[in-house]
Amino acid sequence: MTIFFKSAIAVLATRGLQAVIVAIIVGIVSFAMMHALPGDAAYRIAAGRYGYDMMDAAAAEAVRLELGLDSPWFVQLWNWLGQLAQFDLGNSLVYGTPVVDEIATQLGYSLLLAAGAVVTSLMIALPVGIATALNPNGLLDRVTMGLSVFLRAVPAFALGIVLVFIFAVKLKWFPVAGFRGFENLVLPSFTLGIGLAAVSNRVVRDAVVDAMNSDWQMFARTKGLSMRLTLMRHVLRNASLPVVTYVGVQLAYLIEGVVIVETVFAWPGIGHALVHAIFGRDIAMVQGTALTLGLLYVALNLCVDLACRGIDPRERA
Amino acid sequence: MSISIEVKGLSVFAGPTRLMGPVSFQVPQGGTLVVMGETGAGKSLIAQAILGTLPSSLRAEGEITVNGRRVDHLSITERAKLWGREIATLPQEPWRALNPLMHAFRQVKETHLFVANRTKPEAAAETKQAFETLSLSGAENRLPGALSGGMAQRVAFAAATAANAPILLADEPTKGLDAERHAKVVERLAEVPQTGGTLLAITHEAAVARRLGGDILVLRDGELVEQGSTTTILAAPADRYTQSLLEADPQNWPKSKPSDIGKTVLRVHDLAVARGKKRLFEGFNLDLRAGEKVALTGPSGIGKTTLLDAMAGLLKPVSGSVSREKTLSKHSIQKLYQDPPAAFPNRVRLKHTLQDVARLNKTNWSDVLQILEQLGIHASLLERKPDEVSGGELQRISIARALTVKPKVILADEPTSRLDPITQRETLAMLDGIARANQIAIVLVTHDKNISAKWSDRTISLG
Repeated sequence: MTIFFKSAIAVLATRGLQAVIVAIIVGIVSFAMMHALPGDAAYRIAAGRYGYDMMDAAAAEAVRLELGLDSPWFVQLWNWLGQLAQFDLGNSLVYGTPVVDEIATQLGYSLLLAAGAVVTSLMIALPVGIATALNPNGLLDRVTMGLSVFLRAVPAFALGIVLVFIFAVKLKWFPVAGFRGFENLVLPSFTLGIGLAAVSNRVVRDAVVDAMNSDWQMFARTKGLSMRLTLMRHVLRNASLPVVTYVGVQLAYLIEGVVIVETVFAWPGIGHALVHAIFGRDIAMVQGTALTLGLLYVALNLCVDLACRGIDPRERA
Repeated sequence: MSISIEVKGLSVFAGPTRLMGPVSFQVPQGGTLVVMGETGAGKSLIAQAILGTLPSSLRAEGEITVNGRRVDHLSITERAKLWGREIATLPQEPWRALNPLMHAFRQVKETHLFVANRTKPEAAAETKQAFETLSLSGAENRLPGALSGGMAQRVAFAAATAANAPILLADEPTKGLDAERHAKVVERLAEVPQTGGTLLAITHEAAVARRLGGDILVLRDGELVEQGSTTTILAAPADRYTQSLLEADPQNWPKSKPSDIGKTVLRVHDLAVARGKKRLFEGFNLDLRAGEKVALTGPSGIGKTTLLDAMAGLLKPVSGSVSREKTLSKHSIQKLYQDPPAAFPNRVRLKHTLQDVARLNKTNWSDVLQILEQLGIHASLLERKPDEVSGGELQRISIARALTVKPKVILADEPTSRLDPITQRETLAMLDGIARANQIAIVLVTHDKNISAKWSDRTISLG
């Protein structure tokens, strides 16, 4: 196991460095994009603070002065980076509360949704993939293939709206949006999970087909192991490798999906907050949430890397 | 003496087509049966029919009795109970038969544990013992990818025979092994009947059949050609086909006439190579001349493949140099691979692959077709994908692909070790003819001392 830890430390070091680079790039890019947006940020922020009807040019001017929005862009960016180096994300420009506090509550919800989506996708992809693999090119295989292509091609927001229409509006099984309890988790998880499962069920199918046709699977049987032991001791580990690796590839889709699906379902997570912050020109919140999503991507990739190393001893050399 | 395996009128069908049979034979306990024939003759189908592992697209007919029990009509679950306990099977490709993610020791131990139903300490002790007996000590915690072909063979042997099954099925057990390992495996198989076991060995090598003795079946295109005592049949084959199988044995080849040798095309000076962090050998020198045929021999794992890669410029040597004659481009050195299917993209039609090579090298397609014709490959085969042609055909197509680049040096990494003797002989003869016609220098890696002695102009032994 010591070899595993050695290689795990190497992975941690690489991913740590990546995290730093991601933080800087995400900060700069989100800052630049916010500045490229049309309109006067001070007016939008003042509107966010006092409401559209209660604000005027004087209020906007006060906001501009208070937040230093009139200072050159590189001073603003430099200040943000300087604060970041002290692990300080600053305060929300609209609410005045620390960005860290906002994100701390939202992150939990987003992670819950992401976990719900991955679990849902595996609950669909594993049985479907294995079932289709047992009879490759059979009817079930071809039907799932067509369905997978279709579902992957449907954008997440459209799928979300269809699910809301059927299960929340018509059947009234689940609430439409917001978060009051775990029954709210079901529809957004399915929206994301179906998109993920549409591809990963094919990956599971291919992995299982390959493993079942392998020479080593046959040899494990002919040396006397039962089907069950062969599956448990040989097939599962080998077949899980491409599946776990693929979950890593899907993370990009997952993070992008979280932003969209949270907005569709008014889910109190980071993605929802990001979209709101963009509308309100809350630059500190945009940078903070985008940074968190970027780091989340790195952290989840790290988990996938460690899982692959745990499964595949060849990686540890 | 009781009968271990009895087969009556066994045939294997694919739909209405008979692929193999009918054959009938008996192997007494402690006896040996050798099944001999070229690749594609249906030898493996006999072993698969006895085990019950025929692919679902195939169907067996006839009576099969194992240790006094009819098995041919049993369900697959019932037949699987014989595996490892009554019948042990040596895999054809030990490397691929081992789980790539599991340490060698555990792959053997699990048979002791789950098939022979030993306790954990017993299983560990037995496995340790087996590793010592097969001189595998030190390889316990290696993954199959880090084992040499010979070691993988022995690990598979230990795993297959852990539960002391009285019958051993060995399908091409010597495929791709070097001379020394080859002899050891054959010796190990020959011991099986001496200790009361029953052996069914499938081989295309006359020398292996001769050493194992017992009875023999000779198959051609699925049909029984000859059957009887191995010694009698090999001494005086009644059929022309058996005769040609014997003649194809490299031992019986005529010595080829010396090549017409030109000036130096490739000079290797004081070369040292390494695979990963492991240094394989150093101080290798070679002056390769146009038209020359050099054989490179040595035990498996010494680094012959790595040496060829360094000579082809595919791998950076640790030290020393490889220099081409000035007028030669990088592509004038071509490599032939041991495992032809691994050297072709498997979902692309062969024609497509060859046309790409021809276009890149500005070779006329008609020239390629002519090369293929010389190699005995009909152009219609190119419409197929790599797994739809035989290994021998694919290797000849890979020779044609190399020639499309108009090389001056061909580095051949055991190009015929997976082919049956008749195809091997034809393929090497063609390579010889083409080299002579075009003044191409060839370095041939081979395990077979007879091939190096009979086919090449000179031999370099490594290790």
